Amino acid sequence: MIRKHTRRAAKAAFAISFGVAIVVGGVVGTARSANRAAPTIVIGTKNFPEEFILGELYKQALEAKGFSVSYKENIGSTEVIQTALTSGKINFYPEYTGVIVQDVFHHATSPSTASATYALAKKLEAAKGFTLLDATPFYDTDVLAVTNATAKKYGLKTISDLKKVGTFDLGGMPECQTRTTCFLGYTKQYGLTNAKFKSDGSVSAYAALDSGAVLAADVFSTDPPLLAPSKYTVLTDPKHITGFQNVAPIVTTSVVSAAGPSFASTVNAVSSKLTLPAIIAMNKAVEVDKKSAASVAQQFLKANGLT
Amino acid sequence: MTAAGGPVIPNFGSGSSCVTGDHLFCWDWVKQHWGDTLGPALAQHVELTAIAVSVGFVLAFSLALLAHRRRRAEQPISIVAALVYTFPSIALFQLLVPFTGLTYTTVEIALVSYTLVILFPNIVAGLEAAPPEVIEAARGMGLTPRQTLFRVEVPLALPAIVGGLRIAVVSTIAIATIAATILPKGLGFPIFYAIALPTPFKTEIYSAGILAIALALVCDRALVLLGRAVTPWTRVGG
Amino acid sequence: MIYDTANTHTFVQALRFIADNPGLLATKALEQMELSGAAIGLALLVALPLGIVLGHLHRGSGVAIGASLFGRSLPSIFLIAVFLTVLGLGFENNMVALAVLALGPILTNAYLGVEGVDEDAVEAARGMGLSRSGILTRIELPLALPLIYIGIRVAAVTVVATAPIAAYAGGGGLGDIIANQASYRLSGVLGASICVMALSAGVWALLLALQRATTPKGVRVARVQNPAGELGKEGL
Repeated sequence: MIRKHTRRAAKAAFAISFGVAIVVGGVVGTARSANRAAPTIVIGTKNFPEEFILGELYKQALEAKGFSVSYKENIGSTEVIQTALTSGKINFYPEYTGVIVQDVFHHATSPSTASATYALAKKLEAAKGFTLLDATPFYDTDVLAVTNATAKKYGLKTISDLKKVGTFDLGGMPECQTRTTCFLGYTKQYGLTNAKFKSDGSVSAYAALDSGAVLAADVFSTDPPLLAPSKYTVLTDPKHITGFQNVAPIVTTSVVSAAGPSFASTVNAVSSKLTLPAIIAMNKAVEVDKKSAASVAQQFLKANGLT
Repeated sequence: MTAAGGPVIPNFGSGSSCVTGDHLFCWDWVKQHWGDTLGPALAQHVELTAIAVSVGFVLAFSLALLAHRRRRAEQPISIVAALVYTFPSIALFQLLVPFTGLTYTTVEIALVSYTLVILFPNIVAGLEAAPPEVIEAARGMGLTPRQTLFRVEVPLALPAIVGGLRIAVVSTIAIATIAATILPKGLGFPIFYAIALPTPFKTEIYSAGILAIALALVCDRALVLLGRAVTPWTRVGG
Repeated sequence: MIYDTANTHTFVQALRFIADNPGLLATKALEQMELSGAAIGLALLVALPLGIVLGHLHRGSGVAIGASLFGRSLPSIFLIAVFLTVLGLGFENNMVALAVLALGPILTNAYLGVEGVDEDAVEAARGMGLSRSGILTRIELPLALPLIYIGIRVAAVTVVATAPIAAYAGGGGLGDIIANQASYRLSGVLGASICVMALSAGVWALLLALQRATTPKGVRVARVQNPAGELGKEGL
């Protein structure tokens, strides 16, 4: 005969797990609902370390000035975070001016100067109800890189030199394949009909270059591995197809108005300090020396009197 | 865009030689970043798993009782279960995003589906394992079908249920790492982050992965002990 | 808009995607099968002989059975990342990672299959004068085939259904579409997933046919209770 206490134990276990599921589900659900009382700045970032640093810089600077900030790090690529912005899930994220013009608004090319690109981006975003705050001094463009050995082997100095190579694999993040600032641009503008796109997935393009999985890869000009002395050669892009890529925060216009004048001035003060040496140093600290983006941002803001 | 004087660039300190030298495993990094990276990831992972298994268990148990009572329900539910097997898990997360967003809810729906698929066949098999003579004897003693179910069939099904729970918990902990493809939470996130760095960061990959495996094995062991506790009659000697 | 608002036409759109992109899907499917095939082959090479030998010797049950538990606890992205650090980015790291996932089912089932052969049959064979290797090849292996094949089928489907994750490490395959909703939309993700399911089902059917063709007539294909529950869906 089955003992009573076992039956009770089974019933208890069932009840407990059921109860736990309900309680935990309820707690998790309530914690997720946003506090709509004060104008909360909901900052999002894309999915790579430089964006994490930028996000933390703006987040901490705003918090220090008393703003209520909600931080959603690592939302995804341009396409994904744009959806988050336009659907209201976030109201602030740091974007690259050239990306706004070419990838968000699908213009075939960017204007020929950094300031013209910024002005155009600002105009395009304003028409959609978003304000582009001041741009940073630094720019971070897509660049096409090969290993030094490869550059030597084929005598590669500029992107069009790649026509000399037979069919080859060009690596990049999955989104690169259809972007005019990336694979589409490289192949069309420089006539690289011999290039085949190979997605790196989530893995760094440098790993792909190192293992020979790809011959050339789309990387970023502020990446620490490109600092001299570098194992990689950046091929020049005389047509500037990757555009000018200073960073400027996109903010929902209604939030800018509601947050008051000190909001814009706080953000712009941070942006003004972000020169190329500054951002590369911070990238190196996070990507190579494995410091957390939060602590690196904190140290930078403190050293510059922004907190 | 001209800055009023250049910024002060503090010295962030270089990483330990272990970290910059790409050594196999850097304990100093683990100790330093337990609080901001590994600890929170582990806690989130436990939370994700616990919710998925509890909800999945409740659903599986209810469906199993239904299938047990109405044998015809078992076939279609089993077919769905088999289909989920061949469905790529990264896809399930991706397909739910348009419905429920890049949220915990999406992750949980996916994880609960997999838990369900594992638990349902096991619980059904367990319920069906009761020998017909035992059920007859119970009826003979005057127990109603409902009483027979909960006093005889369910307890006899416990070993199979616990067995299914073991598999479900271990599998869920492993699959939950994939949640990081849409939500930067759980032990999958440090792994995806570390492979994206210019040089994939071994220590972060290994420590997050080993934590996930250890968590799974510890939970499995705990369930074995729980299983023994709720089925004392299996331990009775000769 | 990259994450489409889903509607009832989603499934139809997925089928349309498949119809509109046969070349793309075929290329990706081929890539995926190359990777999966290599992984399964590697796993068979390692786990099948080991499981058979252990079962024959009636040794190492802990290892053979524990292999499935341990294998189930290994997150696939972790395996891919580990072999990425060891072998660099390419075909091999993804192949080895997937092979590791296939080891458990093959090893455990080969062991259980051979180990569980009826004592009496073995005794009778010994009585008839068969050598140890003779017993293995003429008695134990044929009788163990049903379970061995189940292990191989489960391993194969696990590998094929898990292979899409290799796309996150540049491994190509249908995962390139599934992981790239930004470019291929929901219809692409669902369409590619349906293709993965079809591949898995095809592999299962192929191996089942192989089993029927190679199993001696005297050996019944035993109905194993909940093979799904027994072996579980792990590390996907």
